[in-house]
Amino acid sequence: MFNSMFRRFAFAYGAAFALFYALAHARGLALFTVYPAQGIVLLGLHRSRDVADPVLDFLAPEMYWYGWTASAAVGALVVGIVAALLPARLSPFWVWCAWVVPPMAMIACAYLTIPWFRL
Amino acid sequence: MGTVILILHGLVTVALLGAITHQTLATCAPARAKPYSFFDRFRAVRGAGFTNAIVVLYVISWLLGAVVYLYFKVDVQPSLERDHHWHALGFFDLKEDFTAIGLGVLPAYWSCWHQPVDGRSYQLRTALTLLLAFIVWWAFLVGHVLNNIGGFGS
Repeated sequence: MFNSMFRRFAFAYGAAFALFYALAHARGLALFTVYPAQGIVLLGLHRSRDVADPVLDFLAPEMYWYGWTASAAVGALVVGIVAALLPARLSPFWVWCAWVVPPMAMIACAYLTIPWFRL
Repeated sequence: MGTVILILHGLVTVALLGAITHQTLATCAPARAKPYSFFDRFRAVRGAGFTNAIVVLYVISWLLGAVVYLYFKVDVQPSLERDHHWHALGFFDLKEDFTAIGLGVLPAYWSCWHQPVDGRSYQLRTALTLLLAFIVWWAFLVGHVLNNIGGFGS
C-alpha cells in the first residue's frame, strides 16, 4: 500500500517538478531572489535594474535559479501528494508523465537558452 | 573556500560519473555471460547496487554545486561576460536547468530501481537512467570546460 503510494508520488513529483521548473524559468516565477554579492535573499522575483541604473547591474547580480528550483519543488510536492492520494488505477498516467515530461522540460529550457547563442 | 568546495564538487561528480556510467551500460548493454574485454567487465555489474550511491552522490554534488554557483556568479561570470564567452554561459545555463530537473526525477528513479521489473517498468527504468546519465555527463563536461576558460584563481 505505502509502496504503491510512494511510487505514484515519486512519478508525479518528477513530472511536475520538471514542468513547474520550465514554467518558473519561462515566466520568472522565483520563490525568492538571491543577491550573492550582498548576501541578501528577497522573497519573490526582484531585478536590480528595476530599482537602480541598469549600468550598475553588475554591482548587484541577482540569481533566480534557487528560487525557480524552490518554486518547482513546492508545486511538485503538492502534485505528488495529490497523486499519492488518488486511486491506484491512475498509476499508468503518472508513469507516462514521468517518462515524457522531464525530457520535454529539458527541451523547453534549451529553447529558453537560445538568446545566449545569438549574442 | 570557493576553490575547496569546487574541488570537492568535482571529486564527488567524478564518483557519480563512474557509478551512473556503470549502471547505464549494465542496463542498456548487459554483458555476456563471461566477460572478456574491458568493456564487457565494465558493464558486467549489478546495476541496482549503484542506485543508492547515485542518489546520495547526486544530491551531495548538487548541493556543492549550488554553493559554488554563488562564487561563480560574483567572481567568474563577470569576467566571462567581459570576454564575450556567451556560448559557454549558455551551456552553463543549461547545466543548471538540467541538474535541477534531474534532482526532481531522483525519487522516480530510485523507485524504479527498487521495484520488481516487468516490461513497462524496465523501459521506464532504462529511460530515467539514461536521462540522469545524460544530465551528469552534460554537467561534468560543461563545468570542466567552463573551469578551464575562467576558473577560480585565474
